[in-house]
Amino acid sequence: MTYEQDHHSTHISQQFNDELEQVRTELLAMGGIVERQVNDAIEALIEGDAEQAEQARKNDQIINDMELMIDEQCTRIIARRQPAAADLRLIIAISKTISDLERMGDEASRICRHAIELAEDNGKGRGYQEVRHIGNLVRQMLQDCLTAFARSDAEMAYKVAKKDKSVDQEYRTAMRTLVTFMMEDPRSISNVMNVIWVLRSLERIGDHTRNMAEHLIYLVSGTDVRHSSLSDIKKTVRQHDADERKG
Amino acid sequence: MTTEAKTHAIDISAMQRQNQTLRLEDETVALTVNDLELYYGDKRALHGVNMTIPKNRVTAFIGPSGCGKSTLLRCFNRMNDLVDSCQINGEIILDNQNIYERAVDVAELRRRVGMVFQKPNPFPKSIYENVAYGLRIQGVTKKRVIDETVEWALKSAALWDEVKDRLHESALGMSGGQQQRLVIARTIAVKPEVLLLDEPASALDPISTLKIEELIHELKKDFTIVIVTHNMQQAARVSDYTAFMYMGDLIEFGVTDTLFTNPAKKQTEDYITGRYG
Repeated sequence: MTYEQDHHSTHISQQFNDELEQVRTELLAMGGIVERQVNDAIEALIEGDAEQAEQARKNDQIINDMELMIDEQCTRIIARRQPAAADLRLIIAISKTISDLERMGDEASRICRHAIELAEDNGKGRGYQEVRHIGNLVRQMLQDCLTAFARSDAEMAYKVAKKDKSVDQEYRTAMRTLVTFMMEDPRSISNVMNVIWVLRSLERIGDHTRNMAEHLIYLVSGTDVRHSSLSDIKKTVRQHDADERKG
Repeated sequence: MTTEAKTHAIDISAMQRQNQTLRLEDETVALTVNDLELYYGDKRALHGVNMTIPKNRVTAFIGPSGCGKSTLLRCFNRMNDLVDSCQINGEIILDNQNIYERAVDVAELRRRVGMVFQKPNPFPKSIYENVAYGLRIQGVTKKRVIDETVEWALKSAALWDEVKDRLHESALGMSGGQQQRLVIARTIAVKPEVLLLDEPASALDPISTLKIEELIHELKKDFTIVIVTHNMQQAARVSDYTAFMYMGDLIEFGVTDTLFTNPAKKQTEDYITGRYG
């Protein structure tokens, strides 16, 4: 079954179209806020800007509120419209995605907290290169994932999921480097520990982004690919593509 | 069962067994439809339908008005024979026999394949006599046998408790929902193999509808059930398999869960999600 970007806007009931469009728009808006929060958190850390970090932390409340609002709308649609097929998958995917987004927001706040501590300690330096590198990877993943959502693009979602693997690899490498730092210079331990927590949060953001990508693949293809290997996800996406071309 | 599969005294492997999905290939076949074509005069109402109806399952037919779902349902007990100008090609196999063969006794076929209609149609007789009617026609005269069968049928139709004290009152004094369950009791009293339900709940209120749906669920242990419904949520609730028909064609036939979450055909998707066809 083909799933197109404007699939939710072709119902006989215009009201239903509007409700689905609205909840989808809100999801993308929430994604945009989380993306900005993650960007701000990483920048605040690297620039040692405690004020920016504090500001970014405050955004978390907006994200939490949005999660509640979107979830309520999803519940209402299920109760009143009894959505089926792709409509049902849209609601389920959105409901799951917002909880991943909310968790990303929490991780971003955590990064902000460490950024503030590091800025106060003036502990800039050690491990920042790793933060920048992994931060860029994760930011790109999240950005691509939101674009994939906006376009209902399963192939792009698969690439996002694939990227999470390199994030995990980079994370392990960075850990080894940072452990070496701490052994060489025990005085750096408290600062390096902060950086380690930051990296851990970035890695978690990567995981949540992968979850989001999986929800999108479920929405588009109808196959639940959670807990599947990358090669299985690839197979699902390609199979769906082939089916679509066949009509 | 291994100990690993036991968490908080919950048998996980049992849960997995319950979740095992249905597969049409694994089912015992009750009815097979081969290249069934039906004409009302010059108009072709069914375009070569092929399908199998699985035994002891609920199969729902859905589709817009005029798509041929009721027509197909009525083919299963040759109700269309009553329509002049109706011509049927192809075959329907019940127990290795094509029901459209000349040798088939239609009255006996309709005993084996019973039918319930949209509007409850109890006879203007007592509740008891309504249910006993089919047995009497079959020539059963023993009061004890009839009494037992009436009680069994009314119990199976989840009506016994409501009517046991007024079995000899007129059936026309019952509510619509009760009448419909009475008609179902009357149909199952002659122990059919297949039960055809044509919009059995569309004239009923929501509570009576739920009772009928619950009844359908109970009855599938003993009967193969085929139901036509306009109410998609009802099809989703009661059926194991769903067939979507459109303009005389069988578009998609599969496991209800799959059809309602991830249909294979665009036409099915458009219909069940309320889109422009």
